[in-house]
Amino acid sequence: MFLIAAILAVLTLFNFVAALQGYSSSLKEANKLFDQHLRQTAELIARLYAGHPIKPLDDESTLAYQVWQGQKLLASFGIEQTRPITDFYPGFGYANFDGYRWRTLVYYDQNHRNWIITAERTDLRYRLAESVISHAILPILLSIPLAGLLIWLIISHGLKPLRMLSQQLKNKQADDLSPVVLPELKSELQQVNQSINALMSRLEVALNREKHFTADAAHELRTPISALKIQLHNLEEDISPDNEAFQQLRAGVDRIQHLVEQLLSLYRSTPEQLAHNFCRINLHQLAQDVIAELHTKFETKQQIAELAGQACMIEGDPFALTTLLQNLLNNASKYTPPGGHILVTVSTEGHLVYLKVEDSGPGIAPEDYDKIFKRFQRLNNKPDGSTTPGCGLGMTIVRNIADLHRARIEIERSRFESGTAFIIIFTRTED
Amino acid sequence: MFLNSVVLILQEILEAALLISILLVLSRQLQLSARWFATGMILGGIGAFILSFNLATISEWLDYAGQEILIATIMLAVLGLLTLIGLYSTLPPSSSRHALPYLMSICVALALSREGAEIVIYLGGILNHQASIQPTFTGAGIGAGIGLSAGVLLYFGLLSLPVSWIFCTCIVLLALIGGTMASQATLLLTQVDWITYSPVLWDSSIWLPEDSIPGHLLYALIGYEATPSLFQAIAYGLGFLLVSISATLGHLNHFRSRRTNTGDK
Repeated sequence: MFLIAAILAVLTLFNFVAALQGYSSSLKEANKLFDQHLRQTAELIARLYAGHPIKPLDDESTLAYQVWQGQKLLASFGIEQTRPITDFYPGFGYANFDGYRWRTLVYYDQNHRNWIITAERTDLRYRLAESVISHAILPILLSIPLAGLLIWLIISHGLKPLRMLSQQLKNKQADDLSPVVLPELKSELQQVNQSINALMSRLEVALNREKHFTADAAHELRTPISALKIQLHNLEEDISPDNEAFQQLRAGVDRIQHLVEQLLSLYRSTPEQLAHNFCRINLHQLAQDVIAELHTKFETKQQIAELAGQACMIEGDPFALTTLLQNLLNNASKYTPPGGHILVTVSTEGHLVYLKVEDSGPGIAPEDYDKIFKRFQRLNNKPDGSTTPGCGLGMTIVRNIADLHRARIEIERSRFESGTAFIIIFTRTED
Repeated sequence: MFLNSVVLILQEILEAALLISILLVLSRQLQLSARWFATGMILGGIGAFILSFNLATISEWLDYAGQEILIATIMLAVLGLLTLIGLYSTLPPSSSRHALPYLMSICVALALSREGAEIVIYLGGILNHQASIQPTFTGAGIGAGIGLSAGVLLYFGLLSLPVSWIFCTCIVLLALIGGTMASQATLLLTQVDWITYSPVLWDSSIWLPEDSIPGHLLYALIGYEATPSLFQAIAYGLGFLLVSISATLGHLNHFRSRRTNTGDK
């Protein structure tokens, strides 16, 4: 509405003012033309009364005439030739003489039986007509850039809310689904803004439902899996523990249990779920506790897990950081062959705290570094090309927790002959 | 005929369009319903016809000074209404906002009656001259188009100002129109010898003639006169001050009541 009304007003204003200006200029020019004809008429009358002049008085005259009676030239003006300019047929026509093209009028005076031929140079006629028209067109021509400038300003102003809307949408964080609020919206854009906000709201509901569905499903699966584990334990007493089918069944149930636990950890490691119970934590002490907790696991695989470094204080969520360390160490244990080494180092450098988990596993090719953080991504990094059992969520959980602590993750080769080092770089808290 | 028609219609439409645009912006800023505008337009249209049909009789009143006196009275009434609009629009919202639509409606109706009557008389007179109808109505269309376009652009131009400036600009423009009304009323009263002649202050007709398009625009917006008399200039200043002082008083009252309310808390 604003754009239509404003542009229409600009066009009307400029066109009408230009037309008005053109009208005034053309009127002045036409008046000059009429005055010139008036002057020429006066000159003609003067010459008729003064006799029959053959030559015109000045070079500016656009008019010529001849008066014939039979074959006798009675009078002539503006022309030197003594033969008729054109044939004696009454009416308008064209003739060429004296090196110009002329518009002619042949008139028969019945009272005196005279033929009067008047002529006017066409080039001069066109020049005069063009002069009148150009005076009318010039203001329109000059008004176009001004109208264009104003229309540009109006359109820029009219589209400003749209630009603000797109800027707000562009500046939004990927997970920010809050409504877009714009001041002073035009009625047309209110509809767009409302639709976008309604879409955001629906999207937020759908995303929340999806997040909760995974967590709820994982949570609900815990009870039947626990029941399965009890039944397996009971079954173990009735059949031989070496039974292959039983062993595979137990391994399968363990994998399902691990997957469910990881799904729950993934859900709990999202920023919305972590309650931000940040407190000062000694990362070295925490690493020591987690290594002790996983001691049986390392011992089963005859792996040597060591802790190096010193006490370092950081601000963090104890539960989340325990999950991070558990995932890193489980990962290291999983990929390190029996008898291999796992080294956890906690060190500080300036205001940064480094948590480094190294293993002597097969290692990861640098081109695969980015892939490991994707959900359900597992690499074929066993020497025989097979995949290590797991659900592929561990590193996604590690990244979520690191992001929550504004920590950076780096991957490099470990200090052992082969293997990978995961370095989580935190900001240090002053002691 | 064409140019005369453009000039006359442009001047009348422009004056009304600019006044209406400013009042519409002010009403929008104060979040008033725009119903007053429709009422003012209808009343103004009816007033214009009544005035035009009776102007011949009116002009014979008061020793043939009736028309000038009536038009000057309408102009001074518009000035009075603008003063009240300036005052009420700056007062605290609860105290007197409800009166504003009525004031705006009457203001528009009076302005339209005056401008419209002149248009009706002019165009009605032309209808008797067959040869003049076409150029006159073409000119009237162009004049009306320019005047209405200027009004629309002023409306959107005011709305595109920063929000904190809009209200203040509207009040200043209303004060300028108030000054114009006082100045024009003085001129009319001088013409019928109700006010004595005073010397012309300056002559700027060479640089900016009153009958040029910028001259008409400035006349409608700030009451430009190429040859103003001393009394006209004084009346202009008084008219301007009347509207601006009333708006300032209203604003001060509003400010004081807000401070009192804050103090109570």
